[in-house]
Amino acid sequence: MAAPNVSAVASGMPGADRILRELQSRKTWRVHHLLLAAAAIAFLTWCADAVDLRPREVIYAIPVIGEYFARMWPPKWQFADNLWQPAAETIYIAVWGNVIATLIGLPLGVLAASNVTPSGVVRNGAKAILNLFRSISELIWAIFFVSAVGLGPFPGALALGMNYGGILGRLYAEAIENVDRGPIEAMQATGAGRLQVILFAIFPQALPQFVTYNLYWFEVGVRSATVLGMVGAGGIGFELVTAIRLFEWREVGVVLLLILGMVTVIDFASTYLRSKIY
Amino acid sequence: MDNQPTAPRTALSIRGLSKTYKGGLEALRDVNIEVNEGEFLVILGPSGAGKSTLMRCLNRLVEPTAGAIFHQGREITSPKQNLRDLRRQFGMVFQQFNLVKRVSVLTNVLTGRLAYRSAWRSLFYSFPQADKRIAVECLARVNMEHKAFQRADTLSGGEQQRVAIARALAQQPAVILADEPVASLDPKIARQVLNYLKQISRELGITVLCNLHQVEYTREFAERVVGMSRGTVVFEGVSSQLTDEVLHRIYYRDPGDADREDAE
Repeated sequence: MAAPNVSAVASGMPGADRILRELQSRKTWRVHHLLLAAAAIAFLTWCADAVDLRPREVIYAIPVIGEYFARMWPPKWQFADNLWQPAAETIYIAVWGNVIATLIGLPLGVLAASNVTPSGVVRNGAKAILNLFRSISELIWAIFFVSAVGLGPFPGALALGMNYGGILGRLYAEAIENVDRGPIEAMQATGAGRLQVILFAIFPQALPQFVTYNLYWFEVGVRSATVLGMVGAGGIGFELVTAIRLFEWREVGVVLLLILGMVTVIDFASTYLRSKIY
Repeated sequence: MDNQPTAPRTALSIRGLSKTYKGGLEALRDVNIEVNEGEFLVILGPSGAGKSTLMRCLNRLVEPTAGAIFHQGREITSPKQNLRDLRRQFGMVFQQFNLVKRVSVLTNVLTGRLAYRSAWRSLFYSFPQADKRIAVECLARVNMEHKAFQRADTLSGGEQQRVAIARALAQQPAVILADEPVASLDPKIARQVLNYLKQISRELGITVLCNLHQVEYTREFAERVVGMSRGTVVFEGVSSQLTDEVLHRIYYRDPGDADREDAE
């Protein structure tokens, strides 16, 4: 049998004209798009005014910044000998900051996930705590902890732990909410308790996400830990601030290069590790 | 044909069961079914007939709105019934297998033992040796022991469903609830899976309730059939009684009847 003539088949459809007319009428939404664009431009202009945007001065700023960088050249390489230890300390702070963040974020993340915690009160309570931890930046936490437990890397790790705990907790909760429901139902059907369902149906499914988030926030943590030293919370930031205050620009250059190197290496390592998780 | 010497004992007795979901969907309406000990009962009906809801009322994944269910004479729909004890006795097999894909086959089967173990022990992901033995034996029963250490997502659909059956068996259940267990499998694999379920029922004396929407499989495997349509039981009998008239009742209820209901 020959293939049917397509146009002959299609022309017989009585509802087609109506659908095509509706398709035509739906094009009016383009007006909405124009209105949205206009609103967005108005909002951006208003914000620009508020932050006192002066585009012309950016041009004048470039040579000034350039001069700073010029003063850093040539780097005072022998200064690097003073930096290995603080650089290592920065990594340790990021590592333990991450561990503390996980210890804070995991239980709160579980409590904040709607598919695990049916009680709205508990869920919103957990979310409120996570919001609080997250909304206070690690630098502010560091100031609190330096005064509470003294100078050094320990308050730095605690500060990262609190801020990133709030961030990770929220990300964990989202990862938990996105797991496949089927295995959860299957586990409930066996008679497993709530904790057992979390351990055996939810965690294995969410684990790749958890690890990805942890690696990413470890990367960010290393960058962040480089400034914690400014408020006395250990790491390479202290050397950076001291060098800037003493106008030792060639030392500043070495510190910045070292931070760049560290962040680059960790970036590569973390990207590699994340590609291995499936 | 059936000439059993003694009258079969009743395993499950479903009486006046109704379920209306929050949105107003009436999934079950006054369902009465008696299930005999150790039988392979097929619940036949189109999608939306209420078969899945019925199954989930049995292990109380869904709470019925009215009616009662008795298991070996005890009312399991009573509020005093401990859910853990209840669900332990009902193994469940799903259309989508519902294995945890990223863990091993053996671990998946071991989760069938969770309801016997404390949460404290589970915290360390550890199981007693006895549970591991049970899990391996259950895998062997569906001929999957050679894949014990593979990740569940490396298996084909039919293999995953066999592992899911092993998980249900590991609960050492009195009843297995199979909710459309072969709906996403090709015919050859589907028959294989149904054969395993039937074999388990026969050899271990486990009562199997199996939801199906395909008439051929029902004719082939069912010992007894309950036909459902729009939340009610419209047929009860053996598969040889599945005449065209009966199938019409299950799949295409009297259109006048349907119109009236839709208008409501």
